[in-house]
Formats: sequence, structure tokens, C-alpha cells
Amino acid sequence: MHPLNWVIVIGWLVYVVSHGIRRSKGTDKIEGYFLANRSLPWWAVGLSVMATQLSAVTMIGTTGQGATDGMKFVQFYFGLPLAMVILGVTLVPFLHGARVYTAYEYLERRFDPATRSLTAFLFLVSRAMSCGAIIAAPAVVFSAIFGWSLWWCVALIGVPAILYTMVGGVQAVTWVDVKQMFLIVGALIAVVVTVIVKLPVSLHDAFVIAGHAQRLRVFDFSFDLTKTYTFWSGMIGGTFLMLSYFGTDQSQVQRYLAAKSVDEARNSLLFSAYWKIPLQALVLLVGVLVFVFYQVKPAPMLFNPAVERQVIKAYPVEYAELKVRYDSAASFPFIRESIRGEALGMAQRLTGEPAKDVNYIIPRFVIDNLPIGLAGLFIAAVIAAAMNAISGELMSLSTATVIDFYKRWISADAPEERLLVISRAATVFWGIFACVVATYAVSLGSLIEVVNRFGSFFYGSILGVFLLAMIKRANARGAFIGLIIGMATVGLVNWRLPKVAFLWHNVIGAVVVVVVGMLISYLTGPSRAQPASSRA
Amino acid sequence: MTSDAGSRFRRTLLRVAIVQIVTLLLLGYLQYLFTP
Repeated sequence: MHPLNWVIVIGWLVYVVSHGIRRSKGTDKIEGYFLANRSLPWWAVGLSVMATQLSAVTMIGTTGQGATDGMKFVQFYFGLPLAMVILGVTLVPFLHGARVYTAYEYLERRFDPATRSLTAFLFLVSRAMSCGAIIAAPAVVFSAIFGWSLWWCVALIGVPAILYTMVGGVQAVTWVDVKQMFLIVGALIAVVVTVIVKLPVSLHDAFVIAGHAQRLRVFDFSFDLTKTYTFWSGMIGGTFLMLSYFGTDQSQVQRYLAAKSVDEARNSLLFSAYWKIPLQALVLLVGVLVFVFYQVKPAPMLFNPAVERQVIKAYPVEYAELKVRYDSAASFPFIRESIRGEALGMAQRLTGEPAKDVNYIIPRFVIDNLPIGLAGLFIAAVIAAAMNAISGELMSLSTATVIDFYKRWISADAPEERLLVISRAATVFWGIFACVVATYAVSLGSLIEVVNRFGSFFYGSILGVFLLAMIKRANARGAFIGLIIGMATVGLVNWRLPKVAFLWHNVIGAVVVVVVGMLISYLTGPSRAQPASSRA
Repeated sequence: MTSDAGSRFRRTLLRVAIVQIVTLLLLGYLQYLFTP
């Protein structure tokens, strides 16, 4: 890559860290560090909420998915607007009005310490691992493309994020997120414009090519529980997932707890309700247009340069023959696709793993085709997306560690200064933990997958506990046992009916927890704790 | 929910629904026009 691109990347990192540190004013108290003294405007919180869930996986994985599978992934978000509106009138006023630091703290007030600690523990385990996976995804791609060691790539992404999060707390995280969101959207638009300018066919013809290859098929109305992305799984399963994610996951809840008022918190969520689907459509459209570009212009036979180097070394003659066939089939995209399949098969024989280069399509396109400067901007945007997601998660991991465990179980009346030191130490600890997980991501691959799968077991179930919290008759025993049975049921469904798509797990978990929780509550008598509505 | 909060909720729901329906119609139109 041209040195000017690297100047842009480094320049952006320096700017972001210094901006984050400058935003650390007022973080000398715990409320300032974790909740920005509940002073943030709705639009900044709204952009930060969107930034936290838009990770580097979206920039390189989802765009790649647009190139290989088309637009159908957008159905995953169909339930989000409804979920945001529901949360705006249910959980947001409860949580904001309760003046809590974490969503789980609220569960103790409503139920008991056991329910709070279990949900907070589940959050820590799953988020810490997923934080590692978020760093690993772009780091592995950068390592393959630029030929650097994985350690350097992990450090390039992880260290700046840890630094400004540790110093500036949620205030720095939010304002850096705002700046980086503009960079990310700008970079995506830059790719779209570049593809359109470089395409030798008109935009109309490009859409015709994409349409014929089924890349513009958005809707699948079949009611099939085994299909991952359908209109119904997105509308029903997606609504439950988004309710759970935005309503009970500390990495999201912490954002709107930092808003000035309940109305500002509500508006920040509505920001996602309006903009998430159009933004996701833009992300997928980038992939679709790049797919069209490679239908009319020569595409690399293997997009992952590191794997390509290994294959050339291991099978020099076979690969050279395949390359000749590939180049001579320039006018026949379907034949080229079949030859690409053979090349991927060679890679699979060599590495022993299913060969997929979906994550390398967009980075390769950017490096080979974007003008000097814009390529650097895109690489900076990928790092920015990763940092946005990591910083939000580190902040929430630190908050849950300090508020739900240290302050709750170890030192309830610790002075502010000590809590602040421990909070910063917890941020650094989780940051280093995530970097270590990311560094061993390749060997930990199956473990991370297990943890992510485990995460899907309890997402819906935790939502069920929060739903119970809003029902007057529900009691602590019902909530705790309901949570355990909900998770076990989803685990059982996953084991016995593995083909049921994961979005449905959220519906199953939430419904089982509410039904079992209410049943046990009626059998064991009224709760001594007050109902949520009277506390908000 | 008070009647004031109720009517505000309905207005918000309506606005979000309109934006989403327009977005989905645009995506559906793109699919209808170009997918054989």
C-alpha cells in the first residue's frame, strides 16, 4: 500500500487517541467515568449505540457477505425498529429512572443478588470472548494481506482503544464513536462511488447483472425454522434478539444510561430504529457492487494472499495450470466461479479447514482499486469500526466488574478514588484479555464458537428475566429458576434440533423463562421485593 | 402508561413504521425490477 495511505491510518489513530483523552474531563468520579455524569445528548448516544454494534466484521465480513450471498442478510434487522419502540416505553424508563449503573444492578433491586450475579457473570464471560473475536477478525485479515505478525495487527487495533477508554471512560468512548461513525459511513460511500466510476457498464446494467445472480433478492417469506435469514425469523426472532441486546446487554444499556434524561435516552434508541436498516442495506450494497465489478473485471483467483502463497508453494504446477484456465475463461463468469471453487478446494486440502475467502474480498478490492488516500481512509475506517465496538464493550465489562462484583461483594463502601483506580485497571485488564484471546483466535477458533453459541443460549433467557421484572406477581425464585430452565431449554433445542436457526433461540428462551418464572412465582407466593413499576 | 405517553408512543410507532415501510418498499422494488 502507498505510504500516504499509512500516513492517513496513523494520523487517524493519533487523532482519535488524543481526542478521547481530551474528552476525559469530569471523569474523576465513578459516575463521570461510567456514565458521563448522565449528561450526553441523544444524538451522540444514538450514534454511539450504532457505532458499538458496527464492528470491523460489518466492514469486511458483511460487505463480503453482500458479494457472495446478496442483500438477504438485511432481513436480520427487520425486528430492530419495533424492538426500539417497545424498549422506549418499557425498559428504558425503568432503567434510567432507577439511577443504576448496570442493567444487572436493577435485577437485585427487583429480585435478589443471585439473579443479578448470574446475569452479570454470563455477560462478562460472553462479552470478554466476543471482544477478542472482534479484534481477531480484522487482525487476521490485515495479517494475511500486509504480511505482518498477528501480534502487531492485534496491537494496532487494541492498544489505541484501550488507551482512550481507560483514560476517558464512557465520555471518550461516546465522542470518539461519533467521529468514527462519520469516517465509517464516508469510507463506505467512497467504495460505492469508486465502484460506480470504475465499472465499465452503467449502474442500471450493474443492477441487471446483480439481479440475475440473485444478489438483489432481499425477501424470503418462507416460514422455515431451519433457514437463518427469512422475513419471519427477522421480524419475530430478530425482535426478541434486539430487545435482548439493546434492553439487557450492558454494552448497549450503558450508552443510554449516560443520556441526559429518559426522553433523550429514548430518542437515542430511535436513532437506530430509523437508520439501522438503511445503513445495513448500504453495507450490503457495497458487497453487491463489488461482486458486479469482479464479474466484468479480472478478479483474483484466491482473495486471501497468505493462503494463495501457501497453495503456490505446495502445489506449484497444479495452481499454475488452474490459473491459465482461469485467465482464459475471462468472459465466462460461471466457469471462472467453478475454477475458483477448485482453487479453494486446494486451499482446503492444504490447511485442513473449510476454505472461505469472503472476508478478503472487500479489503483486496480496496487495496487494488481505490485511489491513493481513499484506501488508507477505508483501512482507518475498518480499524475505527473495531475500536468502536471494543471500547464500548471494554467500558461495559469494566462497569459490570466493578459495580456488580467488586462493589457488591468485596468492598461496598470503597472510596471514589479507589473505585476509579480499580475501574481503570479493570478496563486495561479486559483489554489485554481480549487482545490475548484475539492473538490465539486461530487456535481458539472452536472455543470462541462454543462461547458464542453459549451466548445465544442465554440472550433470550436474560430478556425473559427482565420481562418478569416488569410483571408485578413475579418473584426472585421464579426469575432465578426460570433463567436456568430457559437456558437449559435453548441448550436442549440446540442439541436435539440443531437445524433450528439461532434467531428462534431468543424467542424460545424468553418465552420459557416468562412461563416457568410465572408458574413458580404463583406456586411460591408473592415477592417481598417491590414491582419494577413502582420504583421507576 | 398515561394517555399523553400513550399518544406519544402511537405517534412514534407510526413515524418509525412509515420510515421502515418506505425502506422495505424501496428494497422490494429493487428486487422486483432486477431479479428475474
